[in-house]
Amino acid sequence: MSRILIVEDDERIRSSMRLALEDEGYTVDDVGSGEEAIGRFEAEPAELVLIDLMLPGMDGFEACRALRRTSTVPVIMVTARSDTHDVVAGLEAGADDYVTKPFVAKELAARIRALLRRSRHEGEESAVLSFGDVEIEPDAGVVRRAGAEVHCTRTEFRLLCELANHPGKVLSREQLLERVWGYDYFGDGRLVDVHVRRLRTKVEPDPASPQFILTVRGMGYKLVV
Amino acid sequence: MADDGTGGTGRPEEEGAGGRAGHLGLRARVTLTFAIAAFGLSALMAGITYFTARATFLSERQAAEQRQAFANAALVQNALRSPTTQVNQLIESVDTLPGSRSVLRTGGQWYATSISVGQSAIPPAERALVLSGTPATQRFILAGTPQQVIGVPLPAVHAAYFEVFSLDELAGTLRALAIALAGAALVTTIAGAAVGRWASSRALRPLAGLTDAAVAIAGGQLDTRVGTGDDPDLDELASAFNRMTANLQDRIEREARFTSDVSHELRSPLTTLTATVSVLESHRTELAPRAQRALDLLDGDLRRFTRMVDDLLEISRFDAGSAELSLDEVDPGELVRRAVAAAAPVVVDGVRGPVTFPVEVGPGVEGLRLAVDKRRFERVMANLTENAAVYADGVTRVRVERQPGPIGGVLPPAEAIRVIVEDHGPGVPEAERTHLFERFYRGGRAGQRASGHGTGLGLSLVAEHVRLHGGRVWSEDASGGGTRFVVELPLRPDSLQPDSFETGSVGVDRSVPPPVSTGEVR
Repeated sequence: MSRILIVEDDERIRSSMRLALEDEGYTVDDVGSGEEAIGRFEAEPAELVLIDLMLPGMDGFEACRALRRTSTVPVIMVTARSDTHDVVAGLEAGADDYVTKPFVAKELAARIRALLRRSRHEGEESAVLSFGDVEIEPDAGVVRRAGAEVHCTRTEFRLLCELANHPGKVLSREQLLERVWGYDYFGDGRLVDVHVRRLRTKVEPDPASPQFILTVRGMGYKLVV
Repeated sequence: MADDGTGGTGRPEEEGAGGRAGHLGLRARVTLTFAIAAFGLSALMAGITYFTARATFLSERQAAEQRQAFANAALVQNALRSPTTQVNQLIESVDTLPGSRSVLRTGGQWYATSISVGQSAIPPAERALVLSGTPATQRFILAGTPQQVIGVPLPAVHAAYFEVFSLDELAGTLRALAIALAGAALVTTIAGAAVGRWASSRALRPLAGLTDAAVAIAGGQLDTRVGTGDDPDLDELASAFNRMTANLQDRIEREARFTSDVSHELRSPLTTLTATVSVLESHRTELAPRAQRALDLLDGDLRRFTRMVDDLLEISRFDAGSAELSLDEVDPGELVRRAVAAAAPVVVDGVRGPVTFPVEVGPGVEGLRLAVDKRRFERVMANLTENAAVYADGVTRVRVERQPGPIGGVLPPAEAIRVIVEDHGPGVPEAERTHLFERFYRGGRAGQRASGHGTGLGLSLVAEHVRLHGGRVWSEDASGGGTRFVVELPLRPDSLQPDSFETGSVGVDRSVPPPVSTGEVR
């Protein structure tokens, strides 16, 4: 049974989310602030964290960045607005996905499942993938650049595997959303864009002018070896 | 939407022309005034010049003629004293100026040097006056030409000498002068009009700037301001205008922010409610039948309420001008098929039912790439589907076409994609079509409204989403009865101005009137 940590300052929302997610079969822990969340996560690591962006004191973005410093745990941010600014800022802070309030519990559960599913998926691609000085071991979930291990979140890792499995082939944002996040056609392309950006800072020699993960305008992304 | 969007506030020229029919504009009036003033002044000057010149010419001429006439009269008198003088020869010998003719009366007989100018040519009053012994001068018209006659009585020899001068040459000179003066007056008038036009244009130039600013503001660019120059007369107007615009912008933004804040505040309790209801749903079997029914009602209206809050938030973004397009290039056919599938009604537990109507893709659509905000397009299709479900028996056909379509088997370059959504409902009366896209508009269809559906914002959001893409949407009669909604999206994304989305405008000219009157909204 997967353990989920909910970070939400509104006590009523926290309780109702807890009820709903427990019904979906998860073990739920909840805290009311970003500071508490960091402490709780260090004491008792969860398999997935839900963070509300609007928190008193340390806000959701900061909490997310603090978590990212020590962990690659999947993070879903909960936002009251789907405006570009909040979504992109949340993703850049290290979130893997986002849901907008009020969300339907079933949809949230589906998002959680998609993010947790990854660990089971990883066994499929066994061969070591490589491009440039980057080496990917899908089985071990390890990325090395010039021999040194690169810390990727699980979503970044999966996105990288997806691209590296189809070298030279253009993958559309829809395809990547479906394969990496489990979204349908109408998923939010910003998820892909921000994750690609994040990935580039980790594997590209010069993230501003990428050599490996290229943008194909109007089409999607491709990895060239 | 339609009230501030398609209203005529963006077209002051047109409204002005309509509102003050028959009146001239300020510029025309200033031009006309300058022209009239220039004409009046130049006509006065020309008149004075003409009449002064005429009087001078005439008096000089008359003095010269009189000198000659009296000299000739003295000659004639001397000659007549001699009894041997032949009057006929005498009269011929009188030295006259070119164009002057002599008439002599002596011994009760008339003698003349010209056949055409005899005694009968001389006005009777002149004749009588001179014959009674008084010298006289008179001007008259003979055979259409002005003449002047000078009569000199010669009592010593019982005769009278008349000399008739033609003033034709002088008249010609005066005519030429008059034409020259009239020409000068005309030129002055035109120059006056031109100066008037220039001056009024120059004076009105700041107003033109103001007009442009007002049009931009009416078009939704609320951050438009007019520049204050160094002209103290206009500065006051400009700063008053800017103050007004700032107040307006502030007020509109406050209202939009309020709607946005309300929507956001409502989201917290809605989140709790939604999560709680889903818990109840998953424990449904533990509930008594009456409680289950209550839960269904709660669930249904909670969904509707959520939709309404979402729609209000969406609308407030459009009103605040903060709506942003997130464009993807997609295959139009696939986009529509996916959107139609995503808009199919939920059958059970979040699973959507099959699409029960054909989705046709017209010739030449395949291979085109449409730059579109997929999420917004999905909302467009969902709202049109919902509209058809509420007011008709659902969608009967969806068709994707390219614009312009094939002409005689040849495909001209595609400019737009049309998505046509048809139903077999009772249709929409022509008079209501323009209102269809207004917020909360129900019109005569109020009675048909199925309970638990729709927020009243669906079609107005369709119009806003489409407008944001630079496209248009309208409704018309479907061929087999019912209503047909046509969504037209341009294929060239560069015709949108992405920059203006960031500066707070929706980037589409709202003042452009729809080309056809079938309830279209741009």
